[in-house]
Amino acid sequence: MAQNIEDVVADSASAGRVVPRRLPRIASRKKTAIAGFVLMAPSLVFIGLFVMVPIVYVVYLSLYKSNLLTPHPKFVFLQNYVQLFSDVDFLGSLKNSALLSGGMLFLSLPIGCLLAALLNMRLKGTKFYRTVFFAPYVLPLVGSGLVFTLLLDKDNGLVNHVLALVGVPPINWLGSSHTALISVMLVSLWQYSGYYMLIFLAGLQNIPQSLVEACQVDGGGRLKSFIHVTLPNLTPTIFFCAVVCIIQSFQAFDQVYVMTDGGPNNASSTLTYYIFHKGFQMYDIGSSAAASVILLILLSILSLIQIRLGRRWVVEES
Amino acid sequence: MKKLAKLERTSAHVVLIIAAILALIPVYWMIRSALATNTDIFDPHFHPWLVDFDWRNFAQAWSSQPFPIFFLNSIASSFLIVLCQLVTSTLAAYSLVFVEYRGKSVVFFCILLAMMVPMQATFIPIYSMLSSVHLINTYGALVLPFVGSAFGIFLLRQGFASIPKEMIRAARIDGASEYRILWSIVLPNAKPALITLALLNFVYHYNDLFWPLVATNTTNMRVVPVALTYFLNQDAGEGLQWNHMMDAAIFAVLPVIILFLFGQRYFVRGVAGTSIKG
Repeated sequence: MAQNIEDVVADSASAGRVVPRRLPRIASRKKTAIAGFVLMAPSLVFIGLFVMVPIVYVVYLSLYKSNLLTPHPKFVFLQNYVQLFSDVDFLGSLKNSALLSGGMLFLSLPIGCLLAALLNMRLKGTKFYRTVFFAPYVLPLVGSGLVFTLLLDKDNGLVNHVLALVGVPPINWLGSSHTALISVMLVSLWQYSGYYMLIFLAGLQNIPQSLVEACQVDGGGRLKSFIHVTLPNLTPTIFFCAVVCIIQSFQAFDQVYVMTDGGPNNASSTLTYYIFHKGFQMYDIGSSAAASVILLILLSILSLIQIRLGRRWVVEES
Repeated sequence: MKKLAKLERTSAHVVLIIAAILALIPVYWMIRSALATNTDIFDPHFHPWLVDFDWRNFAQAWSSQPFPIFFLNSIASSFLIVLCQLVTSTLAAYSLVFVEYRGKSVVFFCILLAMMVPMQATFIPIYSMLSSVHLINTYGALVLPFVGSAFGIFLLRQGFASIPKEMIRAARIDGASEYRILWSIVLPNAKPALITLALLNFVYHYNDLFWPLVATNTTNMRVVPVALTYFLNQDAGEGLQWNHMMDAAIFAVLPVIILFLFGQRYFVRGVAGTSIKG
């Protein structure tokens, strides 16, 4: 590998140099173009092989009925998709993913924003707080999922013990179809709120302090300056967080796998869990692939929104 | 006026302290359960602290499964991924920032789109591709899909873009080769971006459950997150050894925590940076 790379660099070394003026311009352009693509090549090959080709392949698979047992897949055109939208489990998973995204959007973003606003006051111990809130983000979700399983245990979990102190009867967090998804969301909330806090903090620190002060001098209180100055300047950050939050929630898998296995009765199965379950556990490759395509369509719409937002953001900054 | 500010700060502290306690409870509970005897965990009389410490738990949990192998697999495969990504992403980012050619924006757009494709949506094709070359259940399967990284290119592009273009131009006029420019100007100046990428990706792949779960199927190829889930499934019949599971979770978390404490500012930079300059 390393040898290869060095060859590539050495090749492009002569080609990529800006050529002195006396040479024809077209030749130099051609040469730099080659250099540019040669340098891109290792990445392009691997991204092509493991991202682009699989996308095309998964679309192809979604048009066939196949499992690993019968060697010849049967072309069924859109039948997998039709079946998908009459499959209660799929619709349920789709709904759960949407609920999870919505819940995260309306809980973790405000929490993140509030924490960031507090940390932006530059109090004592800010660094400590920031570390404590952000640290969960780097932990393996499998580990946090396991701890939350214990915390939410019906008979011995800390959460029910604390609730009992105020007279609430024990809740079967993971075993009831009403609360299983909420349990999954709790882990996500714990894990990701600090991440949004950090993005909001970066956004807040990009707002010129002079603007906020000017508003306060003009007689606006903290709240007023927050609503009239901070919030409008923060909208790009909010949009960015919102899109990232939805994308992240639609990819939720580890928590579900560890805590509930999608159960009970599919009450906490997400779109990615459904894809995994259909493809890897039931060997129903066609359905799994069709569900993958739907996930991809959803995510690419979101990504396009994000890319557009990113462009706007850059313009606003410069 | 001054009094109000003080009140404000105090209430901010109160909110922050409550939030910090909530954030730390799962960590505390992990440690508590890791040290508890199994009877203590399932004691119906509630006591948030520990009555009985059992330090032998860690040793028992450690010897119950071949953890050294899991750690070796996890760390080696994550390390290999990071190494490959640093090389491929550096070259690609260099090409995007410092080399002029047509079609660059198209390439970059594709990279942005590729960044959003989750493994869960494409794992069947990737699995069948790798299995057709007999790589399933090998390091090849764990590493190869991640050698090229759209995110890596994106992150390094941000880092490279802050290097003054005049410096590169001057070096070219002085006759430096592209290789020389990359090695002695770009890389030293982009060290923070490279460290950020290395840390973020190491932690990401060390934590990854999904792909190793699919791509490996024997104990000797198992990585740490997958090993944790096996704890869950294995003991299912005879009552879970929760204290040992929490010991294992602590083993799993420790390397990440250590990396995080050492490289905190790089993690922060990585997360905040991708959003600001998006």
